[in-house]
Amino acid sequence: MNKLKKFAIALLIIIIMVQILGHINGDNLTYNNLSQSYYINKGLEETSSFNLVTAIYLDYRLFDSFFEASILLVVVTGIAFMAIKDEDLL
Amino acid sequence: MTYSRILITISRILLPFLLLFGIYIIVNGDTSVGGGFQGGVILATSYLMYFFIKGAHPFNITKMLKIDKYLFISLPLVILIGFITTGHFFTNMFPMDYPYYIRRIYLLILNLIIGAKVAIGFVSLFIIFIEEGNS
Repeated sequence: MNKLKKFAIALLIIIIMVQILGHINGDNLTYNNLSQSYYINKGLEETSSFNLVTAIYLDYRLFDSFFEASILLVVVTGIAFMAIKDEDLL
Repeated sequence: MTYSRILITISRILLPFLLLFGIYIIVNGDTSVGGGFQGGVILATSYLMYFFIKGAHPFNITKMLKIDKYLFISLPLVILIGFITTGHFFTNMFPMDYPYYIRRIYLLILNLIIGAKVAIGFVSLFIIFIEEGNS
């Protein structure tokens, strides 16, 4: 009985995964591609960057990448604070 | 602490090319693939090869953390120049009708700052882990 229940759960998971994989390919989905077409059409003339990733992380989403840099600083100083037994550090 | 001779020889061959590759990726971050973060990680990896060659690390961890903090402070200062010149927050410091090769300077400066910050951060992480493993 226990084995049958496990088999049913596994079969259910497999069916759900197949359904998700069938829908995730996006052949008959209509996306909201407003920002995508905006970046492709106006990214070069607004940010003067040929690389669209650089155009996004240094101009459109600069606030985001600024705090991403702060996360790295906090990680490094935190690991140094926890790892090194030194009183005059920091 | 010494490593295998094969590792040391291959690291000696690869180290200058890896340094050049990291600097190339940082400087050309706005015209081709790559950017500040990727080039900084490559530079940090080249420091790991230097550690394989020498067997010891020459940097002081306190000074490196201090440089990391100063670079992080210089990042919003560069960003806020754009507010003074154009009047908008978090954009390019040159107006939009300037040619590409002048507006590129802003992207270049920010890529260099982010690349140096990521490289110094990862190198100090490596040093912390190496010291922790040796002690």
